[in-house]
Amino acid sequence: MALPVLICDDSSFARKQMKRALPDGWDIDLTFAVNGLEGLDAIRQGKGEVVFLDLTMPEMDGYGVLEAIRKEDLPAMVIVVSGDIQPDAQERVQKLGAMAFIKKPIDKDKATKILTEFGILSEV
Amino acid sequence: MGAAAMNLILNEEQRDCYQEITNVAMGQAADRLARLLNVYVILPIPKVNMISASELHMALADTTINDDVSAVCQGFIGSGIAGEALLVFNDASFSDLAQLMKYKGPLDRHGELELLMDVSSVLIGACIHGIGEQLEISFNQGHPVVLGQHCHVDDLVKSGNHQWSQTLAIEIHYEIENVNINCDLLLLFTEDSVAKINQQIDYLLD
Repeated sequence: MALPVLICDDSSFARKQMKRALPDGWDIDLTFAVNGLEGLDAIRQGKGEVVFLDLTMPEMDGYGVLEAIRKEDLPAMVIVVSGDIQPDAQERVQKLGAMAFIKKPIDKDKATKILTEFGILSEV
Repeated sequence: MGAAAMNLILNEEQRDCYQEITNVAMGQAADRLARLLNVYVILPIPKVNMISASELHMALADTTINDDVSAVCQGFIGSGIAGEALLVFNDASFSDLAQLMKYKGPLDRHGELELLMDVSSVLIGACIHGIGEQLEISFNQGHPVVLGQHCHVDDLVKSGNHQWSQTLAIEIHYEIENVNINCDLLLLFTEDSVAKINQQIDYLLD
């Protein structure tokens, strides 16, 4: 069965870049969300077992999404993909339960490395 | 005029792409500053607009409307794209900045100038580098020039004799959490560069 993967970013260019960075031949069911609220909704519907999450977004930011995931105990493995790469930002998302932090701009190598490291890509 | 002016309109996709690229570059600059000062820099959404010379003071006045400011500008050029980075620093920020930088000397005009140059080299350098890296352009930077100390934004903009009618402006407002430090970084590209930089953007979007 295809793995439900969610890309949550308010920038259409960033969503496109993220999609391009996903490994070739990865069997997934891909969903896009343009803000945190939409993203959270998709996760609640089971569309985000793996989530690529931006931090700075309107409506609800990435921190808000992480808090809600934890509070509702939703089954999502979150990889934060952020332009805000300050030490504080990295520390904060890790405390909120994010699995990994990737510095933007994203590319295929960075995405593949993280997915392999956490065993998400092992079946490919 | 005709053909050049055609290129001077940004569509939504291009604007979004500029914003995202700026986002990443300003994040890299903020990271440098955060590590230097041991603070957290608040990152807003950058503004990307085509503006006319007469609108320049409005772009700046947004955040520094009534306060005294000091400003530095620095040119950059590469692959047929040229522009100026303009850092406008609120004078009220200097005392907190001096503390964070552990600046020991007297905070007179020279002291302020030193701090201003330190911050501008970090913010302008990292930002220009970050944008260039994503566009695959290696920008060379000119020497920084002090535009003024303890002056009003209007005077800064008035003093320039603008040779362009319309250009691409990227405005970034930096604030630091829990302290009174804020500044505006404005990136202005020359009119001739806009078509070329738009090409790079379209290539990324393709």
